[in-house]
Amino acid sequence: MEGLLFYILAAFILVFSLAVIVVANPIFSALFLVLSMISLAFMFFLLQAYFIATVQLIVYAGAVMVLFLMVLMLFDLKKEIDIFSSGQRLGGLKIASAGLLTGLLLWSIHYSIGLFQLQPEKVLDAQGQMEQTKTLSVILFTKYLFAFEALGFLLLLIAIGVVALSRIKGGTHARD
Amino acid sequence: MPEISLFKEVSLHHYLILSALIFSIGMIGVMMRKNLIVILMSIELMLNAVNLTFVAFSYYLNHLDGQILVFFIMTIAAAEVAVGLAIAIAIFKKFKKVDIHFFERLKG
Repeated sequence: MEGLLFYILAAFILVFSLAVIVVANPIFSALFLVLSMISLAFMFFLLQAYFIATVQLIVYAGAVMVLFLMVLMLFDLKKEIDIFSSGQRLGGLKIASAGLLTGLLLWSIHYSIGLFQLQPEKVLDAQGQMEQTKTLSVILFTKYLFAFEALGFLLLLIAIGVVALSRIKGGTHARD
Repeated sequence: MPEISLFKEVSLHHYLILSALIFSIGMIGVMMRKNLIVILMSIELMLNAVNLTFVAFSYYLNHLDGQILVFFIMTIAAAEVAVGLAIAIAIFKKFKKVDIHFFERLKG
Protein backbone atom coordinates (compact mmCIF):
# COMPACT_ATOMS: atom_id res chain seq x y z
CA MET A 1 0.00 0.00 0.00
CA GLU A 2 2.69 2.46 1.01
CA GLY A 3 4.80 1.39 -1.94
CA LEU A 4 1.94 2.00 -4.36
CA LEU A 5 1.35 5.46 -2.87
CA PHE A 6 5.06 6.25 -3.20
CA TYR A 7 5.15 5.30 -6.86
CA ILE A 8 2.02 7.29 -7.73
CA LEU A 9 3.33 10.38 -5.94
CA ALA A 10 6.79 9.96 -7.47
CA ALA A 11 5.28 9.77 -10.95
CA PHE A 12 3.23 12.90 -10.28
CA ILE A 13 6.24 14.81 -8.98
CA LEU A 14 8.46 13.82 -11.90
CA VAL A 15 5.85 14.60 -14.56
CA PHE A 16 4.94 17.96 -13.04
CA SER A 17 8.59 18.94 -12.52
CA LEU A 18 9.36 18.08 -16.12
CA ALA A 19 6.34 20.09 -17.24
CA VAL A 20 7.66 23.13 -15.32
CA ILE A 21 10.77 23.35 -17.47
CA VAL A 22 9.20 22.25 -20.78
CA VAL A 23 5.99 24.30 -20.97
CA ALA A 24 6.37 27.56 -22.91
CA ASN A 25 3.98 29.76 -20.94
CA PRO A 26 5.48 30.83 -17.57
CA ILE A 27 2.06 30.93 -15.91
CA PHE A 28 1.56 27.26 -16.73
CA SER A 29 5.06 26.63 -15.37
CA ALA A 30 4.03 28.22 -12.09
CA LEU A 31 0.85 26.18 -11.90
CA PHE A 32 2.73 22.95 -12.58
CA LEU A 33 5.20 23.93 -9.87
CA VAL A 34 2.28 24.29 -7.45
CA LEU A 35 1.09 20.79 -8.35
CA SER A 36 4.60 19.41 -7.91
CA MET A 37 4.94 21.03 -4.48
CA ILE A 38 1.57 19.70 -3.34
CA SER A 39 2.59 16.19 -4.40
CA LEU A 40 5.85 16.66 -2.50
CA ALA A 41 3.88 17.75 0.58
CA PHE A 42 1.91 14.51 0.39
CA MET A 43 5.19 12.65 0.17
CA PHE A 44 6.27 14.39 3.38
CA PHE A 45 3.06 13.12 4.95
CA LEU A 46 4.06 9.66 3.78
CA LEU A 47 7.40 10.12 5.53
CA GLN A 48 5.55 11.14 8.71
CA ALA A 49 6.95 14.65 8.75
CA TYR A 50 3.57 16.20 9.45
CA PHE A 51 4.67 19.65 10.52
CA ILE A 52 7.04 20.03 7.56
CA ALA A 53 4.33 18.87 5.18
CA THR A 54 1.92 21.48 6.50
CA VAL A 55 4.54 24.20 6.29
CA GLN A 56 5.30 23.09 2.74
CA LEU A 57 1.64 23.47 1.83
CA ILE A 58 1.25 26.85 3.49
CA VAL A 59 4.58 28.50 2.70
CA TYR A 60 5.53 27.00 -0.67
CA ALA A 61 2.26 26.10 -2.36
CA GLY A 62 0.59 29.11 -0.77
CA ALA A 63 2.78 32.12 -0.19
CA VAL A 64 5.74 31.65 -2.51
CA MET A 65 3.67 30.55 -5.48
CA VAL A 66 1.22 33.42 -5.04
CA LEU A 67 4.24 35.73 -5.12
CA PHE A 68 5.41 34.10 -8.35
CA LEU A 69 1.97 34.35 -9.97
CA MET A 70 1.50 37.96 -8.96
CA VAL A 71 4.83 38.97 -10.44
CA LEU A 72 4.03 37.03 -13.61
CA MET A 73 0.72 38.81 -13.94
CA LEU A 74 2.48 42.13 -13.42
CA PHE A 75 4.46 41.49 -16.56
CA ASP A 76 3.01 41.88 -19.99
CA LEU A 77 3.41 38.32 -21.18
CA LYS A 78 3.72 37.59 -24.81
CA LYS A 79 3.98 34.14 -26.29
CA GLU A 80 7.59 33.11 -26.11
CA ILE A 81 8.99 31.88 -29.40
CA ASP A 82 12.11 30.06 -28.23
CA ILE A 83 12.07 29.19 -24.59
CA PHE A 84 15.53 27.68 -24.38
CA SER A 85 18.57 29.87 -24.07
CA SER A 86 21.08 27.96 -26.14
CA GLY A 87 21.42 26.31 -29.55
CA GLN A 88 21.28 22.65 -30.33
CA ARG A 89 24.93 21.80 -29.71
CA LEU A 90 25.37 23.76 -26.50
CA GLY A 91 21.98 22.56 -25.28
CA GLY A 92 22.98 18.96 -25.89
CA LEU A 93 26.19 19.58 -23.97
CA LYS A 94 24.22 21.01 -21.04
CA ILE A 95 21.82 18.06 -20.96
CA ALA A 96 24.76 15.66 -21.21
CA SER A 97 26.48 17.32 -18.25
CA ALA A 98 23.28 17.18 -16.22
CA GLY A 99 22.91 13.52 -17.14
CA LEU A 100 26.50 12.91 -16.07
CA LEU A 101 25.79 14.49 -12.69
CA THR A 102 22.65 12.40 -12.32
CA GLY A 103 24.61 9.26 -13.11
CA LEU A 104 27.24 10.16 -10.54
CA LEU A 105 24.56 10.85 -7.92
CA LEU A 106 22.76 7.57 -8.58
CA TRP A 107 26.05 5.68 -8.55
CA SER A 108 27.10 7.19 -5.23
CA ILE A 109 23.65 6.51 -3.75
CA HIS A 110 23.90 2.92 -4.85
CA TYR A 111 27.29 2.44 -3.28
CA SER A 112 26.82 4.39 -0.06
CA ILE A 113 23.42 3.08 0.97
CA GLY A 114 24.90 0.26 3.03
CA LEU A 115 26.82 2.68 5.24
CA PHE A 116 23.85 3.98 7.17
CA GLN A 117 22.54 2.44 10.34
CA LEU A 118 18.89 2.52 9.36
CA GLN A 119 16.40 2.44 12.18
CA PRO A 120 13.36 0.23 11.84
CA GLU A 121 10.58 2.53 10.71
CA LYS A 122 7.60 2.93 12.92
CA VAL A 123 4.08 4.17 12.33
CA LEU A 124 3.16 7.03 14.61
CA ASP A 125 -0.28 7.23 16.15
CA ALA A 126 -1.97 10.56 16.92
CA GLN A 127 -0.16 10.83 20.25
CA GLY A 128 3.16 10.11 18.58
CA GLN A 129 2.56 12.78 15.96
CA MET A 130 1.92 15.39 18.64
CA GLU A 131 5.01 14.25 20.48
CA GLN A 132 7.05 14.59 17.32
CA THR A 133 5.94 18.16 16.66
CA LYS A 134 6.58 19.02 20.29
CA THR A 135 10.10 17.60 20.12
CA LEU A 136 10.69 19.52 16.91
CA SER A 137 9.78 22.82 18.52
CA VAL A 138 11.86 22.07 21.60
CA ILE A 139 14.92 21.38 19.44
CA LEU A 140 14.26 24.50 17.39
CA PHE A 141 14.17 26.76 20.42
CA THR A 142 17.02 25.21 22.35
CA LYS A 143 19.68 23.61 20.17
CA TYR A 144 19.09 25.79 17.13
CA LEU A 145 18.13 29.00 18.92
CA PHE A 146 21.03 31.00 17.54
CA ALA A 147 20.33 29.90 13.98
CA PHE A 148 16.68 30.79 14.47
CA GLU A 149 17.55 34.29 15.65
CA ALA A 150 20.04 34.73 12.82
CA LEU A 151 17.32 33.70 10.40
CA GLY A 152 15.01 36.34 11.80
CA PHE A 153 17.70 38.96 11.34
CA LEU A 154 18.30 37.74 7.79
CA LEU A 155 14.60 38.10 7.00
CA LEU A 156 14.68 41.68 8.29
CA LEU A 157 17.67 42.41 6.06
CA ILE A 158 15.89 40.84 3.08
CA ALA A 159 12.78 42.93 3.67
CA ILE A 160 14.81 46.15 3.77
CA GLY A 161 16.87 45.06 0.78
CA VAL A 162 13.86 44.27 -1.38
CA VAL A 163 12.30 47.64 -0.62
CA ALA A 164 15.59 49.37 -1.47
CA LEU A 165 15.92 47.30 -4.65
CA SER A 166 12.46 48.18 -5.86
CA ARG A 167 13.14 51.87 -5.45
CA ILE A 168 16.30 52.10 -7.54
CA LYS A 169 16.36 54.59 -10.32
CA GLY A 170 19.11 54.63 -12.91
CA GLY A 171 21.75 52.02 -12.20
CA THR A 172 22.01 49.43 -14.89
CA HIS A 173 21.71 50.82 -18.39
CA ALA A 174 20.01 54.03 -17.34
CA ARG A 175 19.01 55.86 -20.45
CA ASP A 176 17.37 58.97 -19.11
CA MET B 1 19.47 -6.41 -3.99
CA PRO B 2 17.08 -8.59 -5.96
CA GLU B 3 14.88 -7.01 -8.56
CA ILE B 4 11.59 -7.96 -6.92
CA SER B 5 12.08 -5.99 -3.73
CA LEU B 6 12.45 -2.77 -5.72
CA PHE B 7 8.70 -2.74 -6.27
CA LYS B 8 7.55 -4.46 -3.10
CA GLU B 9 8.68 -2.07 -0.42
CA VAL B 10 9.97 1.47 -0.38
CA SER B 11 13.31 2.20 1.24
CA LEU B 12 15.67 5.13 1.62
CA HIS B 13 17.08 4.22 -1.78
CA HIS B 14 13.89 5.16 -3.56
CA TYR B 15 13.58 8.55 -1.95
CA LEU B 16 17.21 9.41 -2.66
CA ILE B 17 16.88 8.38 -6.31
CA LEU B 18 13.70 10.42 -6.72
CA SER B 19 15.40 13.39 -5.11
CA ALA B 20 18.39 13.08 -7.45
CA LEU B 21 16.06 13.02 -10.45
CA ILE B 22 14.14 16.12 -9.32
CA PHE B 23 17.44 17.89 -8.67
CA SER B 24 18.65 17.10 -12.19
CA ILE B 25 15.39 18.33 -13.73
CA GLY B 26 15.77 21.58 -11.82
CA MET B 27 19.40 21.91 -12.92
CA ILE B 28 18.47 21.39 -16.58
CA GLY B 29 15.81 24.06 -16.18
CA VAL B 30 18.32 26.53 -14.70
CA MET B 31 20.76 25.92 -17.52
CA MET B 32 18.36 25.77 -20.44
CA ARG B 33 15.55 28.23 -19.91
CA LYS B 34 15.61 31.85 -21.00
CA ASN B 35 12.94 33.34 -18.78
CA LEU B 36 14.31 34.54 -15.44
CA ILE B 37 11.13 33.65 -13.56
CA VAL B 38 11.22 30.06 -14.81
CA ILE B 39 14.87 29.88 -13.75
CA LEU B 40 13.83 30.92 -10.24
CA MET B 41 11.16 28.20 -10.30
CA SER B 42 13.79 25.64 -11.29
CA ILE B 43 15.89 26.74 -8.32
CA GLU B 44 12.85 26.09 -6.15
CA LEU B 45 12.65 22.59 -7.64
CA MET B 46 16.28 21.94 -6.70
CA LEU B 47 15.70 23.18 -3.14
CA ASN B 48 12.66 20.92 -2.89
CA ALA B 49 14.73 17.95 -3.96
CA VAL B 50 17.18 18.69 -1.14
CA ASN B 51 14.26 19.01 1.29
CA LEU B 52 13.04 15.58 0.25
CA THR B 53 16.48 14.13 0.96
CA PHE B 54 16.55 15.69 4.42
CA VAL B 55 13.09 14.47 5.34
CA ALA B 56 13.81 10.97 4.07
CA PHE B 57 17.02 10.76 6.10
CA SER B 58 15.22 12.17 9.11
CA TYR B 59 12.62 9.42 8.83
CA TYR B 60 14.95 6.51 8.20
CA LEU B 61 17.62 7.52 10.71
CA ASN B 62 14.94 8.44 13.27
CA HIS B 63 16.53 11.83 13.92
CA LEU B 64 14.65 15.12 13.92
CA ASP B 65 17.51 17.49 13.05
CA GLY B 66 16.88 16.97 9.35
CA GLN B 67 13.41 18.46 9.65
CA ILE B 68 14.81 21.54 11.40
CA LEU B 69 17.16 22.01 8.48
CA VAL B 70 14.23 21.73 6.06
CA PHE B 71 12.51 24.45 8.05
CA PHE B 72 15.52 26.72 7.59
CA ILE B 73 15.84 25.92 3.90
CA MET B 74 12.22 26.87 3.32
CA THR B 75 12.74 30.24 5.00
CA ILE B 76 15.88 30.95 2.99
CA ALA B 77 14.08 29.90 -0.20
CA ALA B 78 11.23 32.31 0.46
CA ALA B 79 13.70 35.15 1.06
CA GLU B 80 15.63 34.22 -2.08
CA VAL B 81 12.45 34.27 -4.16
CA ALA B 82 11.59 37.72 -2.84
CA VAL B 83 14.99 39.14 -3.80
CA GLY B 84 15.04 37.36 -7.17
CA LEU B 85 11.61 38.64 -8.12
CA ALA B 86 12.55 42.17 -7.09
CA ILE B 87 15.57 41.98 -9.40
CA ALA B 88 13.34 40.57 -12.15
CA ILE B 89 10.97 43.51 -11.78
CA ALA B 90 13.90 45.93 -11.94
CA ILE B 91 15.10 44.26 -15.14
CA PHE B 92 11.59 44.29 -16.58
CA LYS B 93 11.22 48.00 -15.94
CA LYS B 94 14.27 48.70 -18.11
CA PHE B 95 13.99 46.19 -20.91
CA LYS B 96 10.29 45.17 -20.99
CA LYS B 97 11.43 41.52 -20.95
CA VAL B 98 12.87 39.18 -18.35
CA ASP B 99 15.38 37.27 -20.44
CA ILE B 100 18.50 36.01 -18.72
CA HIS B 101 20.54 37.49 -21.57
CA PHE B 102 20.11 40.97 -20.17
CA PHE B 103 22.30 39.92 -17.26
CA GLU B 104 25.26 39.49 -19.57
CA ARG B 105 25.90 43.16 -19.86
CA LEU B 106 25.12 44.59 -16.49
CA LYS B 107 27.04 47.63 -15.35
CA GLY B 108 27.03 50.18 -12.54
